[in-house]
Amino acid sequence: MNGEEPFYKKPRVLLLLIIILASIAVMTVSYKNGELKVGSNLKYGLDLEGGSWLQLQLQGAIVQVNADEKKIIQTEFEKLLNDPSIKIEETTFNSITFTTSKQTTQKIIDDFGFGKSTISQAPDGGTRISLQVNSNYVLQKYLENNLNAEIIQIEGNLLTFEIRKTVTEDELNAILKPVDGKVNTFKTGVSAKTREETKNILEIKLNSLGLKEIPIRTVGDNYLLIDLAGIDINTAREIAAKPGKFEIRIQVKGNETEHVLYGTDLTPGLPSKEKGDSWGVSFTLNDAGAAALRDAAIKYGAVSDPEAHELIMLLDENVVYNAPLSPDLARNIQSVPVKNMIANTGTGDDAQKKANQLQIHLKAGALPVKVDVIGAGQVSAELGSKFKLQVLIAGIIALILVAIVVSMRYKQPNIVIPMLSTSFSEVIIILGFTVLVGFQLDLPTIAGIIAVIGTGIDHLIIITDEVLAGGAMPPDKVYRSRLTKAFAIIFSAAATVLVAMSPLLIMGFGALRGFAVITIVGVLIGVFIARPAYAEVIQGMLVEDSDRTFMGEE
Amino acid sequence: MNLINEKAIDDYVKKFNFKQILIIPAILLAVSLLILAYTTITSPTHSPVELGMEFQGGMAMIFDSAKTPEQLKGDFSAYPVIQAREYGGGDRKLLQFGPMKESDITEVTKKINSEYSNSDLEIRQMGEVVSQALQGQALRAILFSFLGMGIVVFLIFRTFVPSVAVVISAFADIVFAAAMMDVFGIALSLGTVAALLMLIGYSVDTDILLTTRLLKRKGELSEKIKDAMKTGMTMTLTTLAALIALFLVSSGSFLVSTFTRIDIIRDISVVLIFGLIADIINTWMTNVGILKWYLEKGGTVEKRVEKPKKRRQAT
Repeated sequence: MNGEEPFYKKPRVLLLLIIILASIAVMTVSYKNGELKVGSNLKYGLDLEGGSWLQLQLQGAIVQVNADEKKIIQTEFEKLLNDPSIKIEETTFNSITFTTSKQTTQKIIDDFGFGKSTISQAPDGGTRISLQVNSNYVLQKYLENNLNAEIIQIEGNLLTFEIRKTVTEDELNAILKPVDGKVNTFKTGVSAKTREETKNILEIKLNSLGLKEIPIRTVGDNYLLIDLAGIDINTAREIAAKPGKFEIRIQVKGNETEHVLYGTDLTPGLPSKEKGDSWGVSFTLNDAGAAALRDAAIKYGAVSDPEAHELIMLLDENVVYNAPLSPDLARNIQSVPVKNMIANTGTGDDAQKKANQLQIHLKAGALPVKVDVIGAGQVSAELGSKFKLQVLIAGIIALILVAIVVSMRYKQPNIVIPMLSTSFSEVIIILGFTVLVGFQLDLPTIAGIIAVIGTGIDHLIIITDEVLAGGAMPPDKVYRSRLTKAFAIIFSAAATVLVAMSPLLIMGFGALRGFAVITIVGVLIGVFIARPAYAEVIQGMLVEDSDRTFMGEE
Repeated sequence: MNLINEKAIDDYVKKFNFKQILIIPAILLAVSLLILAYTTITSPTHSPVELGMEFQGGMAMIFDSAKTPEQLKGDFSAYPVIQAREYGGGDRKLLQFGPMKESDITEVTKKINSEYSNSDLEIRQMGEVVSQALQGQALRAILFSFLGMGIVVFLIFRTFVPSVAVVISAFADIVFAAAMMDVFGIALSLGTVAALLMLIGYSVDTDILLTTRLLKRKGELSEKIKDAMKTGMTMTLTTLAALIALFLVSSGSFLVSTFTRIDIIRDISVVLIFGLIADIINTWMTNVGILKWYLEKGGTVEKRVEKPKKRRQAT
């Protein structure tokens, strides 16, 4: 070994040292608002912090179907017009023409929602109806009517729909059978867009609770995982599962307000850009709602002095919007109940965001798809901190016991110390990794780290015994060849662990994903970074001490 | 004190007749399979291991209460209580419910939160439909994991008998661990499934070490077995030491009065402990036995030594 650089200058060892230092830095130093802060950056899961979690399943299906659109029009209008003798006359790319023996009007046909119609008198006394509609839409409408659910077209894919309801493939086939149709592809779940929409609405609802950070994670195609620090399981379930209570109140005097109407009297429209670039959300009141608003406006004087009697919108008793009646509206409402209104949010991007949010509030936080709570849990904060302390103690005791066992076997500090330090450095690097990717440390993840340390020590023992076969540090050439053999065993063993753990990545709705990811990442870190460095270190340590430490057995 | 008693290993390797010794793991495997079969027939769910809350649906609540399990059962008699029992020592209690209606879930969680929210309360709930889906997933995960491991082992050794020996040993480890779960009343949870998968990957470590040493190294067979055993036993003992520490600390207030039971850590450690105990037997009896028989009969060891050597020279 003469003339060679010492082990601590070898690239593999340097790499390990750099990664350890980087991991420590990542774990302890944070940079916020131009300030460097030192403190633990580790994030803990709810089972260590206290709080509750919900696993939500979004009910829906993505389907690709086909059916005969003529049959659909025929069966649907037979039902709608109560006429068994609907006859399809003609179909083109974007229209369908049929006749009915019944007398009807364009308004009635249009209200069925199958498309814009033109009506003419049929020669035999009935009505000839021409619908402006394409097959995609006909099918969508058919599913909507027969499933009694919201159906969304998936853009860019012909005859592909999202059904926002729990439905099975068989049920769907049964519905399509009378119109010569069938399901071509069926997948439970919802589209990414719907998932994001649901997530956004939940986030807004949770924001109203004043939680500063609400991690909602998506798992697979149709699961959401919500962690709610410091909230009990009942509150959590209520927020997620139930729509809120929407109410409009009117300002009487100062802070004093009176009830006007509830969300049940109101149908929200879409956020839109009004004249003069200002954003707003339209909404429609039913007759009772419109009357209530008019009465309240007159009773409390909003018609004469709108500025002093603002309308206030509340969701679950939190104010989400307030504004005075516009002068026009104040004037009109005196004479006649107004049903269509717009809540204005101002101009610019910010106003657009506000309009989107307000629309969600108007829907009383109703989610686009049905959401089932499939799993839930709660850990009190005190219990969480007990767990944290206890796991730390367990880790320390495990490390001490491992140290004792390893010392009993090898006895030489220049094997035992590098071995334990390597193992410990693997822990540091894994923790650094969790901070870097924003991973939460929860109990399963910590169990994963401990498991990795277990395999790690095993591999270090393999390296040591393989290299020191016969008890002495061999010359460099033999050392290299033995190391290759050792790593052949280690890589094989690591490969089996990786393969065996991989099912956990997708299993259990993500519950054990942390465990699986940490095990896999930990094994990779160990095999490619820590263990090669260990091999260099013991070679260096033992060569340096070669004059006194060999316990030969040959 | 020495961790590994070399004389004992020496004696073991020299004196033992490996054909006779295979009887011990064979009996162990047979007994384990019988236990699993018995449980499958007698258990209400007809599964080889008892299914925990996560795989049956329902709700589990763990908290401190001075009341007896019977009293707690009475307090919640309006709901489908499956079991109420002491849990990890001290005042700790576990109350488990079967699947319930949404409204009942809300009522029970409200009741428990109003009475025990300051008693280190932990609640876990799993829907029935999903838990059944989870059963299938767990079964597939274990099968996939085992098959994957088997394929990797075959790819590594590329010879039939040694690969099969490794796979058999791993199989026996898992079967033993599962049987011990039945004997000690440990239910299948997400934690124990994770532990079984971990065991699949873990238990072949020593088998791979042994097989590689015996097939790809030159030297006298019993010397090679002895060396492999020294390394392998050290590996298993260190891991066992760490797992025993985890098990003791996560088991509850038996050691230290302020400790509380941590299910997932306890589940994982206890299954791995049983698995590794089986692994000692299956690696150093089953796997050694099969390999010794194979090598003494076929003498293919020389070929195995030549091949990798040539490859190494070429690179």
